[in-house]
Amino acid sequence: MFRDVTFGQYYPADSFVHKMDARIKLVLSLLFMVGIFFVVSYVGFAVITLYLLVVIALARVPLKSVLKSVKGIIFLLLLTAIINVFFTKGAGEPLLSWWKIEIYTEGLIFASKMLLRLTYLVIGSSILTLTTTPVDLTHAVESLLKPLRVIKFPVHEFALIMSLTLSFIPSLMEETDRIIRAQKARGADFDTGGLVKRAKAFVPILIPLLVGGFRRADELANAMNSRCYEGATKRTRMRKMRLGWRDAVASVIVVVLFAAIFTVYGMQSAWGGIIWLYY
Amino acid sequence: MSKSRSNKVTAPSFTVPDNCAIYCKDVNFVYNPKTPFQKQALNNVSLTVNKGEFVAVVGHTGSGKTTFVQHLNALIRLQSGRMYVLGRDLGDKKLDLKALRGEVGMVFQYPEYQLFADTVLQDVSFGLKNFGVDKDKRVQLARDAIQLVGLDFDKVKDKSPFDMSGGEKRRVALAGVLAMNPSILVMDEPTAGLDPRGKSEILSLVAQLNRERNVTVVMVSHDMNEVYENADRVIVFADGAVAYDDTPRNLFRFETQIEEMNLEVPAMAQFANVLEANGITLPDNCKTVRQMYDAVTALRGKADV
Ligand SMILES: Nc1ncnc2c1ncn2[C@@H]1O[C@H](COP(=O)(O)OP(=O)(O)OP(=O)(O)O)[C@@H](O)[C@H]1O
Ligand SMILES: [Mg+2]
Repeated sequence: MFRDVTFGQYYPADSFVHKMDARIKLVLSLLFMVGIFFVVSYVGFAVITLYLLVVIALARVPLKSVLKSVKGIIFLLLLTAIINVFFTKGAGEPLLSWWKIEIYTEGLIFASKMLLRLTYLVIGSSILTLTTTPVDLTHAVESLLKPLRVIKFPVHEFALIMSLTLSFIPSLMEETDRIIRAQKARGADFDTGGLVKRAKAFVPILIPLLVGGFRRADELANAMNSRCYEGATKRTRMRKMRLGWRDAVASVIVVVLFAAIFTVYGMQSAWGGIIWLYY
Repeated sequence: MSKSRSNKVTAPSFTVPDNCAIYCKDVNFVYNPKTPFQKQALNNVSLTVNKGEFVAVVGHTGSGKTTFVQHLNALIRLQSGRMYVLGRDLGDKKLDLKALRGEVGMVFQYPEYQLFADTVLQDVSFGLKNFGVDKDKRVQLARDAIQLVGLDFDKVKDKSPFDMSGGEKRRVALAGVLAMNPSILVMDEPTAGLDPRGKSEILSLVAQLNRERNVTVVMVSHDMNEVYENADRVIVFADGAVAYDDTPRNLFRFETQIEEMNLEVPAMAQFANVLEANGITLPDNCKTVRQMYDAVTALRGKADV
C-alpha cells in the first residue's frame, strides 16, 4: 500500500538533465519553487506548464513517473483546494449558496491557481529527485552549504544525516508494510470506526516502527564505528563534481525566465502567494 | 486430487471435503502487475492440507513461500485460481476477514519486531481484544497462552516486552497468536535466528499443539532437519510452483534433485539413504537420532540371532 509513493525515486536515464551538475539542478529547482509563487495569471501558468514540459522532455523521464508523485498527495491537494473554494469570500454575489456554504467566482479562481501552484511545486521537486541520485543530491547540499563551515556549522555531518535519511525511506516503508500485515493478522482494523478509534489503531504500527528505527540506527552506528568512520576530516571524493556547458546553458535560460517572472509580477504578488499558502 | 474432483471445481456448487483445511487450485499471483517491476510470484499452485496435518513449506529464497502462506489469511488477496481455507472461499469479495484471521493464526518471520504494548499481558491480549473477547476471558486466555510458550505468567505479565531477551520476545509474540486458539497455525520461519535450545523448544511446542489440540500447522522453514523431524508432509516450492509434495522420507530420497534446488538433505535422511543403498531398509519413522538408534539396534538384534 505504501509502495505507490515514488517520491524521491531515481529514474535512471541518459539525458541533458541527468548530466547536469546536481548543485545547479538544486539551485534552479529552488528558484523554480520560489518563482511559481510569484505567478498569478493564467498566462503565467501556461508559460510555467510549457517550461515544465520542456524540462521533462529534456530529462527523458516518462510523464507517468512524474505524475505519480502528484498522485501520492492528490488527496492533500484536493482537500486544500476544496477548503479554499469554501472559505474564500468574494466581493459580488455568490455563485452558489445553500445552507451556510457560499461559493464565489473568486474562490474558484483562487483555488484553481493554488492547486496549480502546489501541483507544480511537487512536479518540480520530483523532477529533481527523478534525475538526481540521492548520493549526488547530498553531495550537492554539502557543497552548497560549505560556506557555513565558517560559523562552525557541521556541514558534512548534516549531509550525512540527509543521505542516511533518504536511504532509510525505502526500508522503513517495507517495514511499515510488514508491521501492518502482522497486526492485521491479529485482527487489527485500520479502516473502520471514528477518528479517535482510527488514530488509536496506528499505535501498534508506530511503536514497532520506532523501535525498529532505533534498532537500525544503532546497528548502523556500530557498523560505522567498527569501520573507523571519522567524518569529513581526511575524506576525498571518488567523483568530483564539475560544471559543464549544460549547466551554463540551463542556468542562463532559467534565470532569465524567472527574472522576467519576478519583474512582471512584482513583489506584491509574491506576498499574496505566501499569504495564500498559509490559508 | 482425483480427476473427478478437479472437474467438479469448475462447478459453482463446489464444496470442500470436510477433512480439508486448505484447498488451492491453480493459484497464480503477480506482484506489481503491468509495471516494469512485474513479478510472477506464484505459478499454478495447487495443493491441499488436511485438518490436523503438519505441513512444511520449503524452497530456495524467493521461491514464493511467504507469498503463498500470506494468502492463507487473506493478507494477500487471491488474484486467480481457487482457494478455500476452513470452508471459506478466499475469492469471495464479501469474505469475513476478521473471522478468517481469528481461525488462521499467523506467525511472521521475526515476530518479536511487531511487539508494541506497554506490558506483555496487553500485547498478548491485543488479538483477543480485536476479536471482541471480554476482559476476564482475555486475561484467562492470555494466561494460558503465556504459560503454554513456557513463560511464567505472574513474573512476566507486567513486564515491558522490550525489556526481554530475543528468545523471550519471540515467545511473547507467539503467545499473542496462540491466545486466539487458531485452528490453523501458519508460521513463516518461526525458528530463524534462535539458539538451538530456543529452536527445539518452539518446535516441540508446535508439535505438541499439533498432536494434542489437533491444530493444523503450516510451517515455512529453511532447516531441513527440523522439517524432517516434525512434518507429516513437505511441499517444495521452486520458482513459484510446487515442485514436490510428499512425505519427508520419500522426498529426501531424491538427494540430487533436492540439492539442485539449493536445499540440503537432513542428516538422518542421508544416513537412511546410505543404509538403503546398501540393502538395509529401516522403518519410515526414523527421524531423530534416538529413533534411528533404536531401529539400528533392533536390526542388529535380528542379525545377531
Ligand atoms: N512486496 C513485493 N513486491 C514485489 N515483489 C515481491 C514482493 N514480495 C516478494 N516479491 C518477489 O516475489 C518473489 C517471491 O517472494 P517470497 O517473499 O514469497 O519468497 P520466499 O520464498 O518467502 O523467500 P525467502 O525464503 O527469502 O523468505 C520473490 O522473487 C520476491 O522478489
Ligand atoms: Mg519468505
